[in-house]
Amino acid sequence: MLLPLLAATTLFLAPACAVFSDEAWNIDYHFALLGAPKEDTSFFHRPNPSSKASLIYTLSEEHALGAVNPRDGSLVWRQLLASGGDAHNASFLRAGEGQDVVISGIGSEVAAWSAAEGRLVWNVHTDGPLEDVEILELSDGKETVGAKDAVALSGGDRPMVQRIDGASGAVKWQYSIDGSDAPFQLSASSTEVFAILLHKTILGYVKLRVVALDPVTGQKTDEYMLSSENELATADNIISVGANSASPVIAWTDAAHTTLKVNVVGTKSISSFSIEKHDENAIERVRMHAPYHINSLSHFLVHYETATSHWAEVYHINLKNSKVEKAYSLPRVAGRGAFSTSTADANVYFTRVTRDELSTVSSASHGILGRWSLSSFGVASGVGEQVEPVHAVSEVSVKGDTVSAIRTTVLLSTGDWVLLRDGKGIWNRPEMLASTVAVTFAMPADVVALVQQLEVEAHGNPVAAYIHRVQRHIVDLQKLPSFLVSMPKKIVQGFLGTSADDAAGSDMFGFRQIIACATRSGRLVALDAGHPDRTLWNTDVADLKPGQSWRPSLSSTKDGVIQVSSVAGTGVGYNATDGQHLAGDLPIIPDEPDLLTSRAVRYTMRGNSLEATYDWSPSWTFTPIHGERILNLVPRPVDDPVASIGKVLGDRRVLYKYLDSNIALLATAHDASSKANFYVLNTISGAIIYSNAHPDVDLTAPISTIMSENWFAYSFTSEASDATTKGHHLVIGELFESLIPDDRGAMGASSNYSTLQTASEPFTLTQTYQIPELISRLAVTRTRQGITSRQLLAVLPASNALVGIPYGILDPRRPVGRDATKDEQAEGLMRYAPVLDFDPKWYLNHQREVVGIKDVVTAPALIESTSLVFAYGLDVFGTRLSPSFSFDILGRDFNKFQMLATVAALAVATFVVAPLVMRKQVDQRWRFL
Amino acid sequence: MLVLKSLAVLAGTSLASAANLTVSVPSSPPLLLNPSSLAPSTHAVLIGPPGIQYEAPIRRDNTFTFPDLAEASYLLTVHSRDHFFPPLRVDVTKSVDGTQQETVQAWQTFRGNEWSNKGPFYGSGNGELRIQIQPSSQKNFYQDRGGFNIIDFVKSPMILMALVSVAFIFGMPYIMDNMDPEMKEEFDDMQKKGPLSGSSGAAAQLQNFDIAGWLAGKGSSTEQGAGDTGKKR
Repeated sequence: MLLPLLAATTLFLAPACAVFSDEAWNIDYHFALLGAPKEDTSFFHRPNPSSKASLIYTLSEEHALGAVNPRDGSLVWRQLLASGGDAHNASFLRAGEGQDVVISGIGSEVAAWSAAEGRLVWNVHTDGPLEDVEILELSDGKETVGAKDAVALSGGDRPMVQRIDGASGAVKWQYSIDGSDAPFQLSASSTEVFAILLHKTILGYVKLRVVALDPVTGQKTDEYMLSSENELATADNIISVGANSASPVIAWTDAAHTTLKVNVVGTKSISSFSIEKHDENAIERVRMHAPYHINSLSHFLVHYETATSHWAEVYHINLKNSKVEKAYSLPRVAGRGAFSTSTADANVYFTRVTRDELSTVSSASHGILGRWSLSSFGVASGVGEQVEPVHAVSEVSVKGDTVSAIRTTVLLSTGDWVLLRDGKGIWNRPEMLASTVAVTFAMPADVVALVQQLEVEAHGNPVAAYIHRVQRHIVDLQKLPSFLVSMPKKIVQGFLGTSADDAAGSDMFGFRQIIACATRSGRLVALDAGHPDRTLWNTDVADLKPGQSWRPSLSSTKDGVIQVSSVAGTGVGYNATDGQHLAGDLPIIPDEPDLLTSRAVRYTMRGNSLEATYDWSPSWTFTPIHGERILNLVPRPVDDPVASIGKVLGDRRVLYKYLDSNIALLATAHDASSKANFYVLNTISGAIIYSNAHPDVDLTAPISTIMSENWFAYSFTSEASDATTKGHHLVIGELFESLIPDDRGAMGASSNYSTLQTASEPFTLTQTYQIPELISRLAVTRTRQGITSRQLLAVLPASNALVGIPYGILDPRRPVGRDATKDEQAEGLMRYAPVLDFDPKWYLNHQREVVGIKDVVTAPALIESTSLVFAYGLDVFGTRLSPSFSFDILGRDFNKFQMLATVAALAVATFVVAPLVMRKQVDQRWRFL
Repeated sequence: MLVLKSLAVLAGTSLASAANLTVSVPSSPPLLLNPSSLAPSTHAVLIGPPGIQYEAPIRRDNTFTFPDLAEASYLLTVHSRDHFFPPLRVDVTKSVDGTQQETVQAWQTFRGNEWSNKGPFYGSGNGELRIQIQPSSQKNFYQDRGGFNIIDFVKSPMILMALVSVAFIFGMPYIMDNMDPEMKEEFDDMQKKGPLSGSSGAAAQLQNFDIAGWLAGKGSSTEQGAGDTGKKR
């Protein structure tokens, strides 16, 4: 009897918490996202001149550069580019025809990336922020075969144009632009490079100054000012298309959008066209689409947009006399539309995506070459919301007079990025999740409905309750036939273990919680943690104007309802299952510094001191010493159940935990001495119950903190000194009422106590570990009753990983300088080692790379052993964790076949052996007589 | 970042006082046969004094380059999806011979040790240093479950003992039958004398063990009962 028990215990102790190979890829999910792609930095391109299949390249609003496979929407490679903290947020991505590199420009860095695998080829830093990057589509005989050079226009104090060698990244020439005009854009024709600058007149209008440069030498060949008169008030009205084409054009409108002016760059003549009104609404936006190739026909399309409809006009440029003529127009269609340009040899095709139709026309004539009706884009949207295309990129192949194949990627107003092949949706990428700023877990509303009905029965009078119950059962009976039908399937599935726990409709374990994500663009997106591959609903909750930001906070205090609020205050409720708006209006309150809120205590930053208000009256303030600034404050989670008030030692004695729900960890930084201080505060009295200071800390690196149960943890990066070693450190501290076992210290005798009257100070044990890499964020697992041991979750931005560190590894009670005694071993403690290497088996993301994680949220499942984890930032990653193993659920390791086979084998053995034994017994009796 | 900006200015002229570091990843079997198979997210980080940090993504030629390093002592770490790399210490110091160029030196370093504790020397260069770094181990992400294995199952001592006893139970009668009569008689005699045999022997007692009675607490009467049956025979 002892042996199996022993075996079971060793089995429980032997492997540290790890990702099991049969659970990986099954219980976890991951969206490798890029963020919303930008229109002018997205295109189809062949990664090698020799390859037939093209990839979609994009540089997104989140500064993620990546290649997406158009076949299934999977990510081929991705690089997160540093924006350099640039305010005007310009980013460029170009690819030369037949090149195996793509060239990005962001901040002040121009970089070339190998198109097939995403590795850096070269990078160049410019003096000022980049204003434009183009590829020179010409050959001057001196450039290396295959690699086309890039030209970059940079602003700042010394604006200049640089030509960068396409093979090595060396600067071939640079031309400094004189004057105080702001650099705006680059255009290149086959013979010249044009730098377009904005010249401010005395009256406040903008004039366009064009500087023509010789592409070979970088010498100025010409310079002139375009007489844009007084119609160009701001640069926003320029709807230019620069770039490489046989005749690059620049176009602008007046502020009221009544006339369109077009200039072929390199000439001084301006063609003027009046814009016709198509409906009563004013034109809101004018966009221009033109081919990007030097040998394409010089045709372009102007796209007009009002609040309710859109239309377009196609213009031709006569190359001989540089005259612009209107060729034809595309009719007005209700709703928003997107146009994309594609080229095949010299021919140019325009593809139009509207709410319900996809059509392609040739630039030469208005005859429609292909038309497909779109029933829906196949994405989740809000109730009654019309999904509109925002912008599109197409790849068209034309045979004769019809389109034989067309692939179009469309960014939709819901934030989804979809690919349509011949009008059919192939994949969609939920790119809106890349800008998630707040997340909460919520129980589905249908699960909650039963709980509510049971409550009605419990609180009503007996007769009414009985009638209610009978009625409920009658309603339930209607589900019986479908239940019986699905029974065999369920049994087979359960038996095969294919979908025992994630069968649709049943959620006994609380794994299928709804994850609501609020995005920066003011949308609320709901995912099902059990079926994360589809979005449940996606509604616009905050009607944000362009440039407006909101700081949403999400909560689900009532089951089945998601509360959204901006900053703090009353929120708006949404049904968790279908996203129905329940009640309330969402006020968008401008930002004000406000820290976390726990229970009734609110924290506000006033200047450099932290003020705590309790029930709306000031309670205490924390003012750091001179020169110190407050980094962050982490209170103990509001919902943080603890099952045991003590720690049982190996000899069955107990160390009592210092459990106080009103404690918080505060981190401050002293920049002058590069010192970081950490304080544990009592949030009711404001008393400091523990403090620690670390010298030589790199205060520019992230300092992450966490507080849970009776322990806290923080990490920082330190410089080498006599006291510490260079690198990253993780400190863990645990608070006890007393360090003597079976003794509650000062609190032992009293039955009641108040933090305001008695000063009770905990005994704190701390331990520091040196860790191999930076931790940018800490979180902790949560379970329903807090019986399960906890895991510290750490985001590792350098490895693009999320690790779950078992608490036992970090325990500050690990014996230092000696081996663990038998009692300590029984507790699971081992000898302290100063270096804590992250075991790859702790990587919750295992082989995947989770990039740009900003925060991790955890929620308890209905069963005690399991905690749900959801990490967001750029990527979205979620999994389930069982820090003490799945003790209350049969996991995937439970082999149902093996169990049945064992039972069957035993049954067979019994039947076979029974007659043998019987015969033997009978024989024996006869023999002895 | 300030340092990086000056690069463009210097780009045209020859690099006078810039300290460059190039770290290459060679083919290092058996861990990493082809360094081109490293994920594009592989990058190297140089951590200098507070506030100074450089990051370099892997290039197409399997190198990381850090141009224009300031004078400081750096910790170099290489992060890769599938491999661990050892941490290095890189020192950029003023050249001793008074020239404008700076000296770049690299050693292996050890976590959890004082910074002055340097490991194997990787190289030193004037103004420029090229070093090679090899992965120390592969990341193994998955924990395999102790699954059911029929061979392991048979190999366990408990099962082996059971199998031996089964062999005895089934094999003994055959051996007895095939024994020549003289030996069999001898064996029978021996068995009769043995403490296990006979009506009052341990074997008989075990065989006639009255579980129900024993459970009912009749410890002594069980023996009596056993004795009774013996008498009846």
